[in-house]
Amino acid sequence: MYKAVVIGGSAGSFQVITKILSSLPKNFPLPVLLCLHRLKHVRSGFVEALSIKSKIPILEPYDKETIKSGKGYLAPSNYHMYVELNKRIALSTEEPVNHSRPSIDLTFETAALAYRDKLIGIILSGANRDGAYGLKKLKQAGGLAIVQDPNECQVKTMTEASLKQTTVDHIFTTEQIISFLTNIK
Amino acid sequence: MNRYELGIVDTRNIIKTLEDVYNYDFKNYALTFFKRRVEKIILDYNLKDAEGFIQKIETEKSFFEIFLKEICVDNTEMFRDPSLWRVLKEEIFPQNIQNAVNYKIWFPEVSSGEELYSTAIILRMLNLQNNVQLIASSISELDLEKTKKGIFDPKKNEVNEANFKRIFSESDLSEFYTIENDKGLWDTSLVEKTKFIKQNIIFDDYPKGIKLILFRNQMIYYNQILQERFNKIMYNCLVPGGHLIIGNNEKIEYWNSDKDYTFINKAESIYKKKLA
Repeated sequence: MYKAVVIGGSAGSFQVITKILSSLPKNFPLPVLLCLHRLKHVRSGFVEALSIKSKIPILEPYDKETIKSGKGYLAPSNYHMYVELNKRIALSTEEPVNHSRPSIDLTFETAALAYRDKLIGIILSGANRDGAYGLKKLKQAGGLAIVQDPNECQVKTMTEASLKQTTVDHIFTTEQIISFLTNIK
Repeated sequence: MNRYELGIVDTRNIIKTLEDVYNYDFKNYALTFFKRRVEKIILDYNLKDAEGFIQKIETEKSFFEIFLKEICVDNTEMFRDPSLWRVLKEEIFPQNIQNAVNYKIWFPEVSSGEELYSTAIILRMLNLQNNVQLIASSISELDLEKTKKGIFDPKKNEVNEANFKRIFSESDLSEFYTIENDKGLWDTSLVEKTKFIKQNIIFDDYPKGIKLILFRNQMIYYNQILQERFNKIMYNCLVPGGHLIIGNNEKIEYWNSDKDYTFINKAESIYKKKLA
Protein backbone atom coordinates (compact mmCIF):
# COMPACT_ATOMS: atom_id res chain seq x y z
CA MET A 1 0.00 0.00 0.00
CA TYR A 2 2.93 2.38 0.49
CA LYS A 3 4.35 4.17 -2.53
CA ALA A 4 7.59 5.72 -1.26
CA VAL A 5 10.02 6.06 1.64
CA VAL A 6 11.65 9.37 2.51
CA ILE A 7 14.62 9.48 4.88
CA GLY A 8 16.28 12.50 6.46
CA GLY A 9 19.54 12.54 8.37
CA SER A 10 22.44 14.69 9.36
CA ALA A 11 25.37 14.33 11.76
CA GLY A 12 25.75 10.71 12.83
CA SER A 13 23.40 9.30 10.20
CA PHE A 14 25.87 8.05 7.62
CA GLN A 15 26.49 4.65 9.21
CA VAL A 16 22.79 4.18 9.91
CA ILE A 17 21.83 4.96 6.34
CA THR A 18 24.58 2.70 5.00
CA LYS A 19 23.29 -0.13 7.15
CA ILE A 20 19.72 0.39 6.02
CA LEU A 21 20.69 0.52 2.33
CA SER A 22 22.84 -2.60 2.60
CA SER A 23 19.87 -4.47 4.08
CA LEU A 24 17.25 -3.54 1.52
CA PRO A 25 16.74 -6.23 -1.12
CA LYS A 26 17.63 -5.56 -4.72
CA ASN A 27 13.95 -5.66 -5.64
CA PHE A 28 12.80 -3.33 -2.86
CA PRO A 29 9.30 -2.34 -3.99
CA LEU A 30 9.43 1.40 -3.25
CA PRO A 31 11.57 4.37 -4.22
CA VAL A 32 13.77 5.71 -1.41
CA LEU A 33 14.23 9.48 -1.25
CA LEU A 34 17.28 10.49 0.74
CA CYS A 35 17.85 13.98 2.05
CA LEU A 36 21.10 14.02 3.99
CA HIS A 37 22.99 17.10 5.03
CA ARG A 38 26.28 17.15 3.21
CA LEU A 39 29.24 19.31 2.43
CA LYS A 40 28.33 21.98 -0.04
CA HIS A 41 31.53 22.05 -2.01
CA VAL A 42 32.10 18.35 -2.30
CA ARG A 43 30.00 17.47 -5.30
CA SER A 44 31.17 13.93 -5.87
CA GLY A 45 31.98 10.98 -3.68
CA PHE A 46 28.90 10.80 -1.48
CA VAL A 47 26.70 8.84 -3.85
CA GLU A 48 29.64 6.51 -4.52
CA ALA A 49 30.17 5.98 -0.77
CA LEU A 50 26.50 5.15 -0.28
CA SER A 51 26.49 2.85 -3.30
CA ILE A 52 29.32 0.62 -2.09
CA LYS A 53 27.13 -1.47 0.18
CA SER A 54 23.69 -0.68 -1.20
CA LYS A 55 21.89 -3.34 -3.23
CA ILE A 56 19.55 -0.80 -4.76
CA PRO A 57 21.08 1.75 -7.14
CA ILE A 58 21.68 5.15 -5.54
CA LEU A 59 21.69 8.19 -7.76
CA GLU A 60 21.70 11.96 -7.62
CA PRO A 61 18.67 12.75 -9.73
CA TYR A 62 18.42 15.19 -12.57
CA ASP A 63 15.75 17.85 -12.41
CA LYS A 64 12.33 16.43 -13.48
CA GLU A 65 13.60 12.86 -13.39
CA THR A 66 10.76 10.36 -12.94
CA ILE A 67 10.85 8.58 -9.57
CA LYS A 68 10.99 4.80 -9.87
CA SER A 69 10.67 1.95 -7.39
CA GLY A 70 13.75 0.14 -6.19
CA LYS A 71 16.02 3.15 -6.57
CA GLY A 72 17.53 5.56 -4.07
CA TYR A 73 17.46 9.28 -4.88
CA LEU A 74 20.01 11.35 -3.00
CA ALA A 75 19.49 15.12 -2.84
CA PRO A 76 22.49 16.64 -4.73
CA SER A 77 24.84 18.98 -2.89
CA ASN A 78 23.78 22.63 -2.80
CA TYR A 79 20.27 21.87 -4.13
CA HIS A 80 16.92 21.37 -2.42
CA MET A 81 15.11 18.27 -3.62
CA TYR A 82 11.32 18.46 -4.09
CA VAL A 83 8.80 15.89 -5.23
CA GLU A 84 6.36 17.18 -7.82
CA LEU A 85 2.73 16.04 -7.85
CA ASN A 86 3.41 13.99 -10.99
CA LYS A 87 6.05 12.01 -9.03
CA ARG A 88 9.04 13.63 -10.57
CA ILE A 89 12.00 15.14 -8.80
CA ALA A 90 12.34 18.92 -8.90
CA LEU A 91 15.56 20.58 -7.81
CA SER A 92 15.87 24.07 -6.41
CA THR A 93 18.58 26.52 -5.45
CA GLU A 94 16.31 28.67 -3.30
CA GLU A 95 17.62 30.03 -0.03
CA PRO A 96 18.67 27.53 2.64
CA VAL A 97 16.01 26.41 5.13
CA ASN A 98 17.19 25.71 8.70
CA HIS A 99 20.65 26.73 7.39
CA SER A 100 20.48 23.74 5.10
CA ARG A 101 20.44 23.17 1.36
CA PRO A 102 19.27 20.47 0.84
CA SER A 103 16.65 20.92 3.54
CA ILE A 104 14.94 17.82 4.93
CA ASP A 105 11.79 19.82 5.71
CA LEU A 106 11.32 20.65 2.03
CA THR A 107 11.85 17.12 0.76
CA PHE A 108 9.45 15.70 3.37
CA GLU A 109 6.84 18.39 2.86
CA THR A 110 6.69 18.06 -0.91
CA ALA A 111 6.84 14.26 -0.77
CA ALA A 112 3.89 14.35 1.66
CA LEU A 113 1.91 16.47 -0.78
CA ALA A 114 2.63 14.08 -3.64
CA TYR A 115 2.25 10.73 -1.83
CA ARG A 116 -0.24 11.66 0.96
CA ASP A 117 -0.98 8.58 3.13
CA LYS A 118 1.18 6.33 0.95
CA LEU A 119 4.43 7.67 2.34
CA ILE A 120 6.79 6.45 5.04
CA GLY A 121 9.03 9.11 6.58
CA ILE A 122 12.08 8.35 8.73
CA ILE A 123 14.15 10.88 10.68
CA LEU A 124 17.62 9.76 11.73
CA SER A 125 20.44 11.13 13.88
CA GLY A 126 21.30 14.81 13.37
CA ALA A 127 22.47 17.99 15.00
CA ASN A 128 19.81 20.52 14.00
CA ARG A 129 16.04 20.82 13.79
CA ASP A 130 15.64 20.34 10.07
CA GLY A 131 13.07 17.64 9.34
CA ALA A 132 10.83 18.21 12.36
CA TYR A 133 8.40 20.40 10.43
CA GLY A 134 8.53 18.11 7.40
CA LEU A 135 7.71 15.04 9.48
CA LYS A 136 4.77 16.89 11.00
CA LYS A 137 3.42 17.69 7.53
CA LEU A 138 3.94 14.09 6.49
CA LYS A 139 1.96 12.87 9.49
CA GLN A 140 -0.81 15.41 8.85
CA ALA A 141 -1.10 14.14 5.28
CA GLY A 142 -1.69 10.63 6.64
CA GLY A 143 1.81 9.26 6.16
CA LEU A 144 3.61 6.93 8.53
CA ALA A 145 6.10 8.75 10.76
CA ILE A 146 9.15 6.93 12.12
CA VAL A 147 11.96 8.39 14.21
CA GLN A 148 15.22 6.69 15.06
CA ASP A 149 15.42 5.95 18.80
CA PRO A 150 17.22 9.01 20.23
CA ASN A 151 19.04 6.77 22.71
CA GLU A 152 20.73 5.13 19.78
CA CYS A 153 21.54 8.34 17.87
CA GLN A 154 25.04 9.75 17.82
CA VAL A 155 23.41 13.19 17.93
CA LYS A 156 19.88 13.43 19.32
CA THR A 157 18.85 16.99 18.44
CA MET A 158 17.07 16.17 15.20
CA THR A 159 15.08 13.17 16.43
CA GLU A 160 14.12 14.92 19.65
CA ALA A 161 12.96 18.02 17.75
CA SER A 162 10.81 15.76 15.56
CA LEU A 163 9.33 13.93 18.54
CA LYS A 164 8.44 17.24 20.14
CA GLN A 165 6.39 18.33 17.12
CA THR A 166 4.77 15.07 16.09
CA THR A 167 3.16 12.07 17.72
CA VAL A 168 4.99 9.54 15.62
CA ASP A 169 3.92 6.03 14.73
CA HIS A 170 7.17 4.35 15.71
CA ILE A 171 10.38 5.06 17.57
CA PHE A 172 12.69 2.43 16.11
CA THR A 173 16.30 1.31 16.48
CA THR A 174 18.26 0.84 13.27
CA GLU A 175 17.55 -2.90 13.40
CA GLN A 176 13.83 -2.28 13.80
CA ILE A 177 13.82 0.19 10.90
CA ILE A 178 15.49 -2.44 8.73
CA SER A 179 13.14 -5.19 9.78
CA PHE A 180 10.14 -2.90 9.14
CA LEU A 181 11.31 -1.90 5.68
CA THR A 182 12.32 -5.36 4.55
CA ASN A 183 8.88 -6.67 5.46
CA ILE A 184 7.16 -4.29 3.05
CA LYS A 185 5.75 -6.29 0.20
CA MET B 1 9.06 28.87 12.12
CA ASN B 2 6.10 30.82 10.78
CA ARG B 3 4.47 29.16 7.80
CA TYR B 4 1.52 29.64 5.53
CA GLU B 5 0.21 26.81 3.43
CA LEU B 6 -1.40 27.43 0.06
CA GLY B 7 -3.83 24.86 -1.39
CA ILE B 8 -3.52 23.63 -4.95
CA VAL B 9 -6.84 25.28 -5.92
CA ASP B 10 -5.65 28.62 -4.50
CA THR B 11 -2.40 28.23 -6.40
CA ARG B 12 -4.26 27.73 -9.65
CA ASN B 13 -6.48 30.74 -8.93
CA ILE B 14 -3.40 32.88 -8.47
CA ILE B 15 -1.94 31.65 -11.75
CA LYS B 16 -5.22 32.51 -13.46
CA THR B 17 -5.25 36.01 -11.95
CA LEU B 18 -1.74 36.69 -13.20
CA GLU B 19 -2.75 35.62 -16.65
CA ASP B 20 -6.04 37.58 -16.68
CA VAL B 21 -4.62 40.80 -15.28
CA TYR B 22 -1.05 40.90 -16.62
CA ASN B 23 -1.07 38.36 -19.43
CA TYR B 24 1.80 36.50 -17.74
CA ASP B 25 1.39 32.76 -17.92
CA PHE B 26 2.94 30.87 -14.99
CA LYS B 27 1.10 27.62 -15.73
CA ASN B 28 4.32 26.05 -16.89
CA TYR B 29 6.37 26.85 -13.85
CA ALA B 30 7.03 23.82 -11.65
CA LEU B 31 3.94 23.72 -9.44
CA THR B 32 5.61 22.84 -6.15
CA PHE B 33 8.10 25.64 -6.62
CA PHE B 34 5.49 28.20 -7.63
CA LYS B 35 3.30 27.32 -4.67
CA ARG B 36 6.16 27.56 -2.22
CA ARG B 37 7.32 30.85 -3.69
CA VAL B 38 3.88 32.45 -3.38
CA GLU B 39 3.61 31.15 0.20
CA LYS B 40 6.86 32.93 0.97
CA ILE B 41 5.61 36.18 -0.61
CA ILE B 42 2.32 35.98 1.33
CA LEU B 43 4.30 35.66 4.56
CA ASP B 44 7.00 38.23 3.78
CA TYR B 45 4.49 40.88 2.74
CA ASN B 46 1.87 40.12 5.43
CA LEU B 47 -0.85 39.31 2.92
CA LYS B 48 -2.57 36.75 5.15
CA ASP B 49 -3.80 34.39 2.44
CA ALA B 50 -4.38 33.72 -1.26
CA GLU B 51 -7.22 36.24 -1.36
CA GLY B 52 -4.98 38.91 0.13
CA PHE B 53 -2.34 38.15 -2.47
CA ILE B 54 -4.82 38.27 -5.36
CA GLN B 55 -6.32 41.54 -4.18
CA LYS B 56 -2.93 43.21 -3.86
CA ILE B 57 -1.61 42.04 -7.18
CA GLU B 58 -4.82 43.00 -9.00
CA THR B 59 -4.68 46.55 -7.73
CA GLU B 60 -0.97 47.36 -7.53
CA LYS B 61 1.22 47.15 -10.60
CA SER B 62 4.27 47.87 -8.44
CA PHE B 63 3.51 44.77 -6.40
CA PHE B 64 3.43 42.74 -9.60
CA GLU B 65 7.01 43.91 -10.24
CA ILE B 66 7.95 42.78 -6.73
CA PHE B 67 6.30 39.46 -7.43
CA LEU B 68 8.36 39.02 -10.62
CA LYS B 69 11.53 39.69 -8.67
CA GLU B 70 10.57 37.17 -6.00
CA ILE B 71 9.75 34.51 -8.56
CA CYS B 72 13.26 34.84 -10.04
CA VAL B 73 15.40 32.88 -7.64
CA ASP B 74 18.68 34.57 -6.77
CA ASN B 75 21.92 32.89 -7.80
CA THR B 76 23.25 31.20 -4.70
CA GLU B 77 26.76 32.63 -4.87
CA MET B 78 29.58 33.88 -7.10
CA PHE B 79 31.44 31.16 -9.04
CA ARG B 80 29.04 28.39 -8.00
CA ASP B 81 30.79 25.11 -8.89
CA PRO B 82 34.34 26.49 -9.18
CA SER B 83 35.37 23.56 -11.38
CA LEU B 84 33.11 24.88 -14.16
CA TRP B 85 34.66 28.34 -13.91
CA ARG B 86 38.11 26.80 -14.15
CA VAL B 87 37.08 25.16 -17.42
CA LEU B 88 35.81 28.50 -18.69
CA LYS B 89 38.99 30.27 -17.62
CA GLU B 90 41.43 27.68 -18.89
CA GLU B 91 39.70 26.26 -21.98
CA ILE B 92 36.49 27.77 -23.30
CA PHE B 93 37.35 31.45 -22.99
CA PRO B 94 40.98 31.41 -24.23
CA GLN B 95 40.18 29.02 -27.09
CA ASN B 96 37.12 30.86 -28.33
CA ILE B 97 37.50 34.50 -27.40
CA GLN B 98 41.20 35.23 -27.94
CA ASN B 99 40.74 36.04 -31.62
CA ALA B 100 37.05 36.81 -31.62
CA VAL B 101 35.26 40.05 -32.31
CA ASN B 102 31.98 40.67 -30.56
CA TYR B 103 31.74 37.25 -28.91
CA LYS B 104 28.21 37.30 -27.56
CA ILE B 105 27.40 35.69 -24.21
CA TRP B 106 23.75 35.52 -23.14
CA PHE B 107 22.34 35.12 -19.63
CA PRO B 108 18.63 34.43 -20.30
CA GLU B 109 17.61 34.98 -16.67
CA VAL B 110 20.24 37.01 -14.89
CA SER B 111 18.30 37.28 -11.59
CA SER B 112 20.66 38.52 -8.85
CA GLY B 113 23.59 38.76 -11.26
CA GLU B 114 26.26 36.50 -9.79
CA GLU B 115 26.69 34.49 -13.00
CA LEU B 116 27.08 37.72 -14.99
CA TYR B 117 29.62 39.26 -12.61
CA SER B 118 31.54 35.97 -12.27
CA THR B 119 31.87 35.85 -16.05
CA ALA B 120 32.85 39.53 -16.30
CA ILE B 121 35.52 39.10 -13.63
CA ILE B 122 37.09 36.12 -15.37
CA LEU B 123 37.11 37.99 -18.69
CA ARG B 124 38.77 40.97 -17.00
CA MET B 125 41.36 38.72 -15.37
CA LEU B 126 42.13 37.23 -18.79
CA ASN B 127 42.02 40.66 -20.42
CA LEU B 128 39.46 39.43 -22.94
CA GLN B 129 36.63 41.79 -22.03
CA ASN B 130 36.95 43.92 -25.16
CA ASN B 131 36.25 40.98 -27.43
CA VAL B 132 32.97 40.18 -25.71
CA GLN B 133 29.41 41.46 -25.69
CA LEU B 134 27.54 40.41 -22.53
CA ILE B 135 23.75 40.27 -22.79
CA ALA B 136 21.73 39.88 -19.61
CA SER B 137 17.97 39.47 -19.67
CA SER B 138 15.39 38.93 -16.97
CA ILE B 139 11.64 38.92 -16.58
CA SER B 140 12.18 41.16 -13.55
CA GLU B 141 12.81 44.87 -14.08
CA LEU B 142 13.81 45.21 -10.41
CA ASP B 143 16.45 42.50 -10.74
CA LEU B 144 17.84 44.19 -13.85
CA GLU B 145 18.08 47.53 -12.02
CA LYS B 146 19.78 45.94 -9.03
CA THR B 147 22.23 44.04 -11.19
CA LYS B 148 23.08 47.14 -13.23
CA LYS B 149 23.94 48.92 -10.01
CA GLY B 150 26.02 45.97 -8.87
CA ILE B 151 24.24 45.54 -5.55
CA PHE B 152 24.78 42.24 -3.79
CA ASP B 153 24.29 40.65 -0.41
CA PRO B 154 27.61 40.68 1.50
CA LYS B 155 26.43 37.72 3.59
CA LYS B 156 27.39 35.57 0.64
CA ASN B 157 30.93 36.89 0.65
CA GLU B 158 32.59 34.12 2.59
CA VAL B 159 31.45 31.58 0.00
CA ASN B 160 32.17 34.00 -2.87
CA GLU B 161 35.76 34.54 -1.72
CA ALA B 162 36.41 30.84 -1.14
CA ASN B 163 35.08 29.96 -4.59
CA PHE B 164 37.18 32.67 -6.23
CA LYS B 165 40.32 31.35 -4.55
CA ARG B 166 39.65 27.96 -6.09
CA ILE B 167 39.94 29.61 -9.51
CA PHE B 168 42.50 32.36 -8.96
CA SER B 169 44.52 31.27 -5.94
CA GLU B 170 46.87 34.26 -6.24
CA SER B 171 44.20 36.97 -6.41
CA ASP B 172 41.58 38.36 -4.16
CA LEU B 173 37.92 38.93 -5.03
CA SER B 174 37.91 42.13 -2.98
CA GLU B 175 39.63 43.88 -5.91
CA PHE B 176 36.20 43.85 -7.55
CA TYR B 177 33.81 45.15 -4.91
CA THR B 178 33.31 47.59 -2.06
CA ILE B 179 31.09 47.33 1.00
CA GLU B 180 29.04 50.40 1.91
CA ASN B 181 26.56 50.41 4.78
CA ASP B 182 26.27 46.62 4.77
CA LYS B 183 25.59 46.68 1.06
CA GLY B 184 27.95 44.95 -1.34
CA LEU B 185 28.70 46.83 -4.55
CA TRP B 186 30.43 45.24 -7.53
CA ASP B 187 32.72 47.35 -9.64
CA THR B 188 30.11 48.30 -12.24
CA SER B 189 32.76 48.99 -14.88
CA LEU B 190 32.67 45.19 -15.22
CA VAL B 191 29.24 45.47 -16.84
CA GLU B 192 29.38 48.95 -18.39
CA LYS B 193 29.01 47.55 -21.92
CA THR B 194 26.53 44.86 -20.95
CA LYS B 195 23.19 44.96 -22.71
CA PHE B 196 20.31 44.58 -20.24
CA ILE B 197 17.03 43.38 -21.69
CA LYS B 198 13.63 43.08 -20.01
CA GLN B 199 11.99 39.89 -21.22
CA ASN B 200 8.32 39.11 -21.16
CA ILE B 201 7.55 35.62 -20.00
CA ILE B 202 7.35 34.03 -23.43
CA PHE B 203 10.74 35.37 -24.52
CA ASP B 204 9.40 36.11 -27.98
CA ASP B 205 12.13 38.68 -28.60
CA TYR B 206 15.40 36.98 -27.81
CA PRO B 207 18.91 37.89 -28.99
CA LYS B 208 20.49 36.15 -31.99
CA GLY B 209 24.00 35.16 -33.01
CA ILE B 210 24.95 34.01 -29.52
CA LYS B 211 28.25 32.16 -29.00
CA LEU B 212 27.71 31.09 -25.40
CA ILE B 213 24.61 30.73 -23.23
CA LEU B 214 25.00 30.46 -19.49
CA PHE B 215 21.69 29.30 -18.05
CA ARG B 216 22.30 27.33 -14.91
CA ASN B 217 19.68 26.40 -12.35
CA GLN B 218 16.87 28.52 -13.69
CA MET B 219 15.10 26.02 -15.93
CA ILE B 220 14.64 23.84 -12.84
CA TYR B 221 11.76 26.16 -11.94
CA TYR B 222 9.94 25.32 -15.15
CA ASN B 223 7.90 22.25 -15.93
CA GLN B 224 8.80 20.04 -18.89
CA ILE B 225 6.66 22.01 -21.35
CA LEU B 226 8.44 25.28 -20.66
CA GLN B 227 11.84 23.57 -20.53
CA GLU B 228 11.20 22.17 -23.96
CA ARG B 229 10.17 25.57 -25.31
CA PHE B 230 13.32 27.08 -23.88
CA ASN B 231 15.50 24.48 -25.46
CA LYS B 232 14.15 25.49 -28.86
CA ILE B 233 14.79 29.17 -28.15
CA MET B 234 18.35 28.50 -27.02
CA TYR B 235 19.07 26.27 -29.97
CA ASN B 236 17.78 28.92 -32.37
CA CYS B 237 19.78 31.78 -30.93
CA LEU B 238 23.09 29.89 -30.69
CA VAL B 239 25.40 29.94 -33.67
CA PRO B 240 26.71 26.56 -34.90
CA GLY B 241 29.73 25.67 -32.77
CA GLY B 242 28.37 27.82 -29.91
CA HIS B 243 28.26 26.55 -26.34
CA LEU B 244 25.42 25.99 -23.93
CA ILE B 245 26.03 25.53 -20.22
CA ILE B 246 23.24 24.39 -17.87
CA GLY B 247 23.23 23.36 -14.23
CA ASN B 248 25.03 20.18 -13.31
CA ASN B 249 21.85 18.34 -12.35
CA GLU B 250 19.82 19.50 -15.30
CA LYS B 251 18.97 17.32 -18.26
CA ILE B 252 16.05 17.48 -20.57
CA GLU B 253 14.60 14.14 -21.51
CA TYR B 254 12.70 15.38 -24.54
CA TRP B 255 15.70 17.09 -25.91
CA ASN B 256 17.19 15.30 -28.83
CA SER B 257 20.59 16.52 -27.78
CA ASP B 258 22.55 13.90 -29.73
CA LYS B 259 21.28 15.36 -32.95
CA ASP B 260 21.69 19.00 -31.98
CA TYR B 261 24.64 19.11 -29.62
CA THR B 262 27.89 17.40 -28.73
CA PHE B 263 28.09 16.87 -24.99
CA ILE B 264 31.66 18.06 -24.60
CA ASN B 265 31.95 18.15 -20.81
CA LYS B 266 29.63 15.89 -18.82
CA ALA B 267 30.91 16.85 -15.37
CA GLU B 268 30.18 20.52 -16.00
CA SER B 269 27.17 20.15 -18.33
CA ILE B 270 28.71 21.92 -21.32
CA TYR B 271 27.16 21.33 -24.74
CA LYS B 272 28.39 22.44 -28.12
CA LYS B 273 25.95 23.07 -30.95
CA LYS B 274 26.74 20.92 -33.98
CA LEU B 275 27.52 22.47 -37.31
CA ALA B 276 24.49 22.29 -39.58
